[in-house]
Amino acid sequence: MLLVLVMLLCSLVGPQAISLKAVVNAPTNPTMPNPDYEIFVRVRVPRIILTALVGAALAGAGVIFQALLRNPLADPYILGISSGAGLGAMLAIISGIGWTLWGRSPVAVFAFAGALVTVWLVWGVGRIAGKYHVTGLLLAGVVVNAFFSAMIMFLTSVAKSQQLYATIFWLMGNVTEEDFLVLWVGGGCIVAGLVGLFFLSPQLNIISIGYQDARSVGVPVERIELAAFALSAFITAVAVSLSGLIGFVGLIIPHAVRLVFGPDHRQLLPLSCLAGAMFLVVADTIARVIVAPAQLPVGVITALIGGPFFLVLLIKYSRKVYWLA
Amino acid sequence: MTTAIQAEHLTFGYGRDRPVLLDLSFQVQAGTFLAIVGPNGAGKTTLINLLAGLLRPHGGEVRLEGTSLRSCRVQDIARKVAVVRQEFVPAFGFSVAETVLMARTLHYGRFGFESKADREIVRQALELTDTIEFASRPLGSLSAGERQRVFIARGLAQDTPILLLDEPTSFLDLKHQVKIYDLLKSIQHQKGATIAAITHDINLATQYCEETLLLHPLHSHPAPSPSCRIGKTSEILTSEEVERAFGVRVFSAMVGNDRFLIPVGTRAKGSGL
Repeated sequence: MLLVLVMLLCSLVGPQAISLKAVVNAPTNPTMPNPDYEIFVRVRVPRIILTALVGAALAGAGVIFQALLRNPLADPYILGISSGAGLGAMLAIISGIGWTLWGRSPVAVFAFAGALVTVWLVWGVGRIAGKYHVTGLLLAGVVVNAFFSAMIMFLTSVAKSQQLYATIFWLMGNVTEEDFLVLWVGGGCIVAGLVGLFFLSPQLNIISIGYQDARSVGVPVERIELAAFALSAFITAVAVSLSGLIGFVGLIIPHAVRLVFGPDHRQLLPLSCLAGAMFLVVADTIARVIVAPAQLPVGVITALIGGPFFLVLLIKYSRKVYWLA
Repeated sequence: MTTAIQAEHLTFGYGRDRPVLLDLSFQVQAGTFLAIVGPNGAGKTTLINLLAGLLRPHGGEVRLEGTSLRSCRVQDIARKVAVVRQEFVPAFGFSVAETVLMARTLHYGRFGFESKADREIVRQALELTDTIEFASRPLGSLSAGERQRVFIARGLAQDTPILLLDEPTSFLDLKHQVKIYDLLKSIQHQKGATIAAITHDINLATQYCEETLLLHPLHSHPAPSPSCRIGKTSEILTSEEVERAFGVRVFSAMVGNDRFLIPVGTRAKGSGL
């Protein structure tokens, strides 16, 4: 409910003032041109739905990665998704590919492919390195991340300035207006992934305690871990290819929700998705209006307003923070 | 009497050419309270992990209630046997009640939530282990002894016919050591459960366990033969056996019908005995 309200309010805020009354009245007399309605339906609503989906996906994936890696510092990008997607996007931008996919730029497709290839690589190496220990997986992620980041930096140093600007904007995380086709496909993938993860969340409680603990209470750990990794990597890749690298949401929202509502994944996952969606919608609204008519990348805003907000939460609930001790 | 635990030619090692357990065979009847004793590195924890299906034997097999673990799914094993282990890594501030409830994961409903019956089982387990008074506190805020009782509660809440414990009383004060063993004893009697506990307190084993399994480290010199003995506690935990297994002198005293053994170091006060 709160999420719907936030989304509605934010959809009314923008560089072009529109009135809710005009929007609601529009379908009653369709013959009259109504710019408010046009902006609302064709620009604001798709963008806000997209933002909410991306926020939910990142926060949800953050919860899962923290549980699977038994590490409160994990976020959706920890296994190299960010640098893999970044490299893919950059290759698409600087190669100046002419072809388009269904009339669209191939950047998102390249980013998506880059993200999935990276996760697959990290997962493969991590499994070989340590079957029962997540440290191998974490290290593989960190190293692959560093390697791809270095390649991004190399490409950055040889790229032309026009391409550079596009790349940097992408790396900072940036929601744009998308058409309904992208919204349906991307949104469908994210919602399906999150629903799947919700059905795994009861087992995640004991898995976050330890591999052997989970086995001994009858959880088929390997299967659940593989499914959870695959689903959360998938929705992260979708989110990243839709909106670039938006940081902070996937790390901090799970912690904020855990501070307030406790660590039980059965409620932590859905609540984090809702909180992540609301947070990103608000952040994106600020990014749209604060330097209007220009727009800031939303990735800048998430950390700018999210950081202080989280510190306040941390101080207020510090009595409950035993896992940081 | 049926056989609850059966090990057949069990072999396991962590590296090549260095087996921890070699060709180990024994049986435990249903409703027995078994003590597993032996020096550090003898493979006690490894044995428990093998019996619980957490490790796969390199040779031989484990049968629980007649069923080979090789053909069992994880879920089926967890209905037969619960394990209380030593290691613990705090993660994410779960409360005591939430931790114990995790034992019921297998029994959650379709949408992943516990039933009233599950909650009742958890409440009983918390009460039996004296942990209900701090049920809502985060696990990380407890002392080692309190936490150990929480893990015992989780083992009980799994509600299985076989319970394996790895040094369940290592951090506990005297009162709770005795209380936990009393509790295990009452579970053994009331539910006919089969219980196997690793312990270094051979006198607790003498007081509570009908049978004892004594493991020798394989790599010691001279190589022990046999590497494992199982039998009535009074026949296994004799001064000679314990002195041979642990390499210490012991002072033996009869209290009532039981023989108690006290290790004596070379510089201890009573070493002249």
